[in-house]
Amino acid sequence: MAKGSGIIERSLVSDDQIMEEENLVMDGIDISGRWNTMLKSRVHAQPKWEAWDTVRESFIGSSIDNCIQCGMCTAGCTVAHEISEFNPRQFIYWVRTGRRDELIKQADVIWRCVGCYICTNHCPKGVNTAEVIESIGQWLHHTVPDSMDPAYRANHDTYRHQLLTYGRLSLPRLQAEFLNRLSRRQELFTPEMRKTVWKMLRDGRGLRTLFIGRPRHWSRSRNVLAH
Amino acid sequence: MTKTAYFPGCSLKTIDRAYDVSTRVVAKDLDIALVEVEDYSCCGAGELKGDGLKSHFLPARNLAHLINQGETSVMVSCNVCYHELSRTANAFDSNDSVQSAIQHMLQEAQEPPLAEKPSVRNTLEYLVHVIGLDTIAQHVKIPLSGLRVAPYYGCLYHRPGNMVSSVQIAGEDTEHPHFMHDLLRTLGATVVSHPAETTCCGGKNLLSDERTSGRLTGRILSQAKSSGADILALMCPKCAGGLDALQLRAIQAVGNQAQLPVVYYTQLIGLAFGHNLDELLIGDMESGAVKIIQQFLARPVYSLPMR
Repeated sequence: MAKGSGIIERSLVSDDQIMEEENLVMDGIDISGRWNTMLKSRVHAQPKWEAWDTVRESFIGSSIDNCIQCGMCTAGCTVAHEISEFNPRQFIYWVRTGRRDELIKQADVIWRCVGCYICTNHCPKGVNTAEVIESIGQWLHHTVPDSMDPAYRANHDTYRHQLLTYGRLSLPRLQAEFLNRLSRRQELFTPEMRKTVWKMLRDGRGLRTLFIGRPRHWSRSRNVLAH
Repeated sequence: MTKTAYFPGCSLKTIDRAYDVSTRVVAKDLDIALVEVEDYSCCGAGELKGDGLKSHFLPARNLAHLINQGETSVMVSCNVCYHELSRTANAFDSNDSVQSAIQHMLQEAQEPPLAEKPSVRNTLEYLVHVIGLDTIAQHVKIPLSGLRVAPYYGCLYHRPGNMVSSVQIAGEDTEHPHFMHDLLRTLGATVVSHPAETTCCGGKNLLSDERTSGRLTGRILSQAKSSGADILALMCPKCAGGLDALQLRAIQAVGNQAQLPVVYYTQLIGLAFGHNLDELLIGDMESGAVKIIQQFLARPVYSLPMR
């Protein structure tokens, strides 16, 4: 029988929360069978507050303390429909209860927020949820960068690099640098991509993309952004 | 003659020039003089939000240039730029410490100061609310009757609803926006409402999270198509990245029902105003818009057969 099959709403409990033995004797009483399934204690004795401190002090995450855990954000969330572990209400709960380990376990999920602001729209208490999630993602980015998908790092670094160097962005250059950073250069030479590049070179968009130019005195603005 | 400043942004200057060109064509017809914001830079594209206060620097820089040019109101086509610029304008107005921080950053970069709060307007909202549907209706030469168009707003046109934006002031519904519906109806098109009108396309993670963005774009396209649309009308170049240029990824994620031609709504206005496909650069769109529009225009009564 599958682990924890006797639990009602089994899908809400993760595997590592369930303790189940073949034969279990406690205080001399054999409790094998149905009664040997137990959930690990959810009492959290050693909360770690760094994430909460970082988020509430950050400019974009300062509204986190207004949250009343109603879950309206998660009910409408775009990403929660696609990725079942993505749960903004729970992320905020973990931050405010010091569950550092849980947050780190979901480090590869939290950054997948698409920033569509449905959550902010739905929040009855005025929490800017989209930006709070962004702030939690930033904390993870600084704390456990290696637990996150390399594609996240590559995307983040590519946008920053293009933005700081040129002051302007364009999708073809972003895509080229992104794939280059991940050593997936071959994806630039697929038949569809070749067709698009050829079309863009012929209709003049290719040249526009290459010579997008920089804003005047861009280095001064870059210094403000970089330091 | 109405005059307004215009902020095209990076995308419209490069690969999404079709949106820029069609906006200018329509503006010329409607007698709107567009004054481009000089020496523009990127708006931050949402990628600098993690930097806190600094995320306001680039939008403020563009707004400061605008004020320096003697303009007080700017029309923005790209939804991401529109969101970033209104976010900064809003923070500038509502919070004194943010205001002084913005001025300090601008001073440090030796850029002109942001002397007052400019009003940031979305092109769609400007056309519907300032120019008016009656005026637009007068310019329609070829009514799009019979063309079944699914409007698609994206996310940052009307959200977040608790941030006071020009779209909200104009009376747009922040839960179920309808300005594009009204506009397309004025052009004579058959408007196809569908459940994914404001669903996000996953544009922020277009490169990094291919799986999610493929499924999200697939959902939008397939829902529009199954609601009976011939074509999808867009208003954001970032959405165009996923829905148009990378439509193949959506088809791989959800199947052939995601195959749907995509155009910018300004191109449809241009078409109704009697411009041809080349003037509006409809050929720039990757997902077969040219074919469906040629088919539509070739029919004597300008309509498409029922599928």
